[in-house]
Amino acid sequence: MWDLQKLTDRSSSSSLASWKRFSLAVLACTGTTLVATPLLAYLDLANIVMLFLLTVLLIAVSLGLAPALLSAFLSVGLFDFFFVPPRFSFEVHDGQYLVTFTVMLAVAIITGQLTAGLRRHADESDTEALRSRALYEMARDLSGALMVEQVAEITRKFLRSVLNADATILLPDSTGALHPCSGQDAARLQIEPRFAIIAFERGTSIDCVQLANSGYAALYLPLKAPMRVRGVIAVAPMDGQTDFLLSQRERLETMASLAAIAVERLHYIDVAQRTQVQVVSERLRSSILSAVSHDLRTPLTALVGLADSLTVSKPPLGAVAQETAAAIRDQSERLAGLVGNLLDMARLHAGEVTLQKEWQPIEEVIGSSIKLLGRGLVEHPVKVALAKDLPLVEFDAVLVERVFCNLLENAAKYSPPGSGIEIDAHVKGDTLEVAVSDSGPGFGPGKSPALFEMFVRGEAESATPGVGLGLAICSAIIEAHGGSIAAANRLQGGACVSFTLPLGDPPIIEEEILHPDGERQP
Amino acid sequence: MNERVGDHSPVVIVVEDEKLIRRFVRTSLEEEGCRVVEAGTLAQGLLESGNQKPDLVVLDLGLPDGNGIDFIRDLRAWSDVPILVLSARSHEKDKIQALDVGADDYLTKPFGVGELRARARALLRRQSRGGEGATPIVEFGDVQVDLSRRVVTRNGEALHLTPIEYRLLCALLANTGKVMTQRHLLRDVWGPSSVESNHYLRVYVGHLRQKLEDDPTQPKYLLTETGVGYRFQP
Repeated sequence: MWDLQKLTDRSSSSSLASWKRFSLAVLACTGTTLVATPLLAYLDLANIVMLFLLTVLLIAVSLGLAPALLSAFLSVGLFDFFFVPPRFSFEVHDGQYLVTFTVMLAVAIITGQLTAGLRRHADESDTEALRSRALYEMARDLSGALMVEQVAEITRKFLRSVLNADATILLPDSTGALHPCSGQDAARLQIEPRFAIIAFERGTSIDCVQLANSGYAALYLPLKAPMRVRGVIAVAPMDGQTDFLLSQRERLETMASLAAIAVERLHYIDVAQRTQVQVVSERLRSSILSAVSHDLRTPLTALVGLADSLTVSKPPLGAVAQETAAAIRDQSERLAGLVGNLLDMARLHAGEVTLQKEWQPIEEVIGSSIKLLGRGLVEHPVKVALAKDLPLVEFDAVLVERVFCNLLENAAKYSPPGSGIEIDAHVKGDTLEVAVSDSGPGFGPGKSPALFEMFVRGEAESATPGVGLGLAICSAIIEAHGGSIAAANRLQGGACVSFTLPLGDPPIIEEEILHPDGERQP
Repeated sequence: MNERVGDHSPVVIVVEDEKLIRRFVRTSLEEEGCRVVEAGTLAQGLLESGNQKPDLVVLDLGLPDGNGIDFIRDLRAWSDVPILVLSARSHEKDKIQALDVGADDYLTKPFGVGELRARARALLRRQSRGGEGATPIVEFGDVQVDLSRRVVTRNGEALHLTPIEYRLLCALLANTGKVMTQRHLLRDVWGPSSVESNHYLRVYVGHLRQKLEDDPTQPKYLLTETGVGYRFQP
């Protein structure tokens, strides 16, 4: 994918073939000697020196500093031995040649160093260019990544080929604990979790050179994205040499932020998709529920209304027909109540219900539910005993009204006609405790917790109608409010269902400012 | 069937898509002495409202051919005929919205004939009373309110109400039988900047009940329409 093989070749070429380069330098010097020997008859010694200098220069340019130095010394030796009289000896008679040797050596060394330096720079900038290109290509590949695993793989490949390092991307789960991104064979690289956590939480990179040799990741870079830190990338040099890695810190950080942006982009794609799925399924659920509830309620409304209009029709029906009409009306009203309970339960279970919580006195819903039940309570006088100065409580009035209606209905259903029902409310700890009790036979023994499950009734086969949804709905509603509900028998006889609502911090009601000379008071 | 001969019998338009519901609504309103015009769709309902100049409109909010709220808005643009809304329980938002755009009262399905007739009667009475001979004295239970003198008495004894309590009582009395949404009452009594302070309203209604009702926990006159608002029922 990347043209990095070349890069590796180039950097190894200068070290791998060093013996070759030295032999080449020796060969070149020998060659120069061989060429110069026949020319000695025609050329001045000064020009022969030039030939040697040229050779040294060429070696410096093509083979680097060390061979150039070797060839400089070699050239001086060869020149002295083969050309300076007395020839074929290292003796020098003319002191001037010492100057020639020195200059020759100096020129060789200086040019060698200069050209070698130039060459190194050229090599380095080539490498830099290749690395930058690799970084650019990584960015391009990351922008096409569709999964976090791909991001991890692309990042690792980059590090391995460009910086000769191994890496693992660590991503936080929902609890904030970091885990290696799955799908990579990352087990090889040991992670020091504390460093990873620090890098993740502080957003700064951590390095620990000592760890590098023991197979642990030595560098922990936070994946800093525009919104927040998305994870940590742990990097370890493949050869245990951290110096090179540390010198590339800037590049590593660039790479980390590229990876971070890719991870963040994927995160938001994920969020968007999930939201869409959720919206679609919620819409479906709520449209099914409202269609069902409309389709069930419409015929029930007609049934209740038509039967009721028969009971009051003029001229009046005969006594038997009248009684029948009233019975049809009552039964369809009850059916409507049951359907209402079923739909409530479905809605509560589907999570369709969002609580419309408001601060309010509990007595208000007690009053409205007693009023709502109306005819159902004529045989059961309700006694409401509220503690003085009850605080406001935050709850959904419509739902808590359902709770009271269901409890009162149960109490009326299971206690003999004429017996009273008591509602009692008081503060208990940091909750408001409300109890609805009757004077009926009470609950059967050992049934309490099961009563709040769906379709469970106090008596298995009783003549009293009902499907056992009422208490289950009460329990669902109270739990949604963060309260609890319990059933018990009273000592003096009768069933008692009590529930709690958390008190919280009610808003302050400012007292009215009354001007003594203000409005005329009624 | 029209018992109020001579006097023109009130015209009621029933906008409801279910034929059987229309049928019993029709018979029970006819027994109240009304002339009933049926409409199966909102479009037809709007048309009939223009033609018949009704004294009352009974409107089902869940009609298939459109939004009942828009119907109320359209109708309110040119008419202040009382509107009685029919709606299912657990649709409190719809009810509040309907009341806020101009509906006068609602009935929760399923409902009995007696309830329907009582609501219709109350709305028709309010409509016919208009400005004529409105008395400044309102009586309910053992309470007497003299609106002209701003005096409230119970069993002949003067009651002390704070200014806010009195304003709240007046707002409820001025709309006898009509459901007042919480938002509406807050705006009337506390001003437009207080429409979010529902708890104030609840606390002050509680104060009024303490002073005016026999049993404040089971009020007879100052009634709660849970999740919607309050209603004064003499």
